[in-house]
Amino acid sequence: MSKLNKIARKSTWVDMTAFVDVSFLILTFFMLATKFKPPEVVNIDNPKSVSSDKVEDKDVFKVSFDKNGRVFISFSADKDGREKAQLTAEVLGRQKGLGLTPAEISNFVKFSSGGIGVPVTQLKSFLALSDAEYKAFKQPGIPVSDTLNNQLNDYINALLTGTGGRKPANVMLNGDNGTTYPYFKNVLAAFKKNGIFSFKLITAMEGVPTGTPLYKRQKEQGGQAK
Amino acid sequence: MAEIAQDGGGGGHKKGPGVKKQARKEARVDMTPMVDLGFLLITFFIFTTTINSPKAFKLNVPDDSAKDEEQTQAKASGAFTVLLSKGNHVYYYEGQLQSDGSNFKSSNFKEIRNELLRKKASTAEKDLVVIIKPNEEANYKNVVDMLDEMQILEIKRYAVVDIAEGENALIRVTEGSSPTPAAGGK
Repeated sequence: MSKLNKIARKSTWVDMTAFVDVSFLILTFFMLATKFKPPEVVNIDNPKSVSSDKVEDKDVFKVSFDKNGRVFISFSADKDGREKAQLTAEVLGRQKGLGLTPAEISNFVKFSSGGIGVPVTQLKSFLALSDAEYKAFKQPGIPVSDTLNNQLNDYINALLTGTGGRKPANVMLNGDNGTTYPYFKNVLAAFKKNGIFSFKLITAMEGVPTGTPLYKRQKEQGGQAK
Repeated sequence: MAEIAQDGGGGGHKKGPGVKKQARKEARVDMTPMVDLGFLLITFFIFTTTINSPKAFKLNVPDDSAKDEEQTQAKASGAFTVLLSKGNHVYYYEGQLQSDGSNFKSSNFKEIRNELLRKKASTAEKDLVVIIKPNEEANYKNVVDMLDEMQILEIKRYAVVDIAEGENALIRVTEGSSPTPAAGGK
């Protein structure tokens, strides 16, 4: 009897110190490795490429299109990006006679880091939205499908007029896998029309397939570097 | 070290008679809530982390407004045309398209690499030019995949060109749909 009791009373305490050590190590890793995504109003699934260049985040002008062909423009939230967004809004307002108030222009700058995708005619009413309304508002996208009414062209033209022809350091194209080719073509047309011939596509990374010429060259270079 | 030992010796640590042994306090702390919280945070960070940061794919496009004589002329023997259509279908032909469409072949993204490699091996580098023609149903992914293929195979000269009506009609025939005059498409 007494023997049985002793066994039952054994402590169930487990030493968790090592466990805690490991868990906090992982926690620290994730905290340091995390880079929060900037808020985006569109959900875009990028195609893959073997390219391994880093995406710059300074002085960025980005054109995005989602799978339904809605086109958005955005500027980075740093000083250069904000300045360019400001100039774009001022020039666009003047060119199209929108009569934007300073408050609306500052709203343009604010919204531009998340994405602006409204036709020029709707821009003024769009810029009157509050932050919360902006997040909830389903933007129709900048019309590009009609070659005569490619309004992305207007936006880019306003940007370049505002900066006096100085192009943003990083012009990016952020496209969705499922978008059909004509949208891509029309975005390219707007770029070309404004003299932007060099830009970067945002893609997800993919390994170089083995046995291909690029793979062989990279391997050779890797061997020489060592 | 010695000091400490002395101090310990001189102090009231020695249990004299009558001095009651102090009850040893349990040094363990219940860590369960801490672990709970720790794992909650780990889970949060795992879900918010984007380990695969996006990469930039450089693309240079030609100026369309360049005069005709300035534009690069492709030698027919070195040309390899890739046509992209819906559902990841790839079609290709070498040189110029025969009027009866006899050199028009159907392929997919896996096999096209071998075809391109074969063409690359059999053509002088300065003559080789790959022409990518997506039709209006091809998606952005296909176009980027094809451009990526140019990087993978180290093909220096390639161009994205609008599809010709005849070629598009051939695709439609191959796809089995009735060859509607593509007026609806752009």
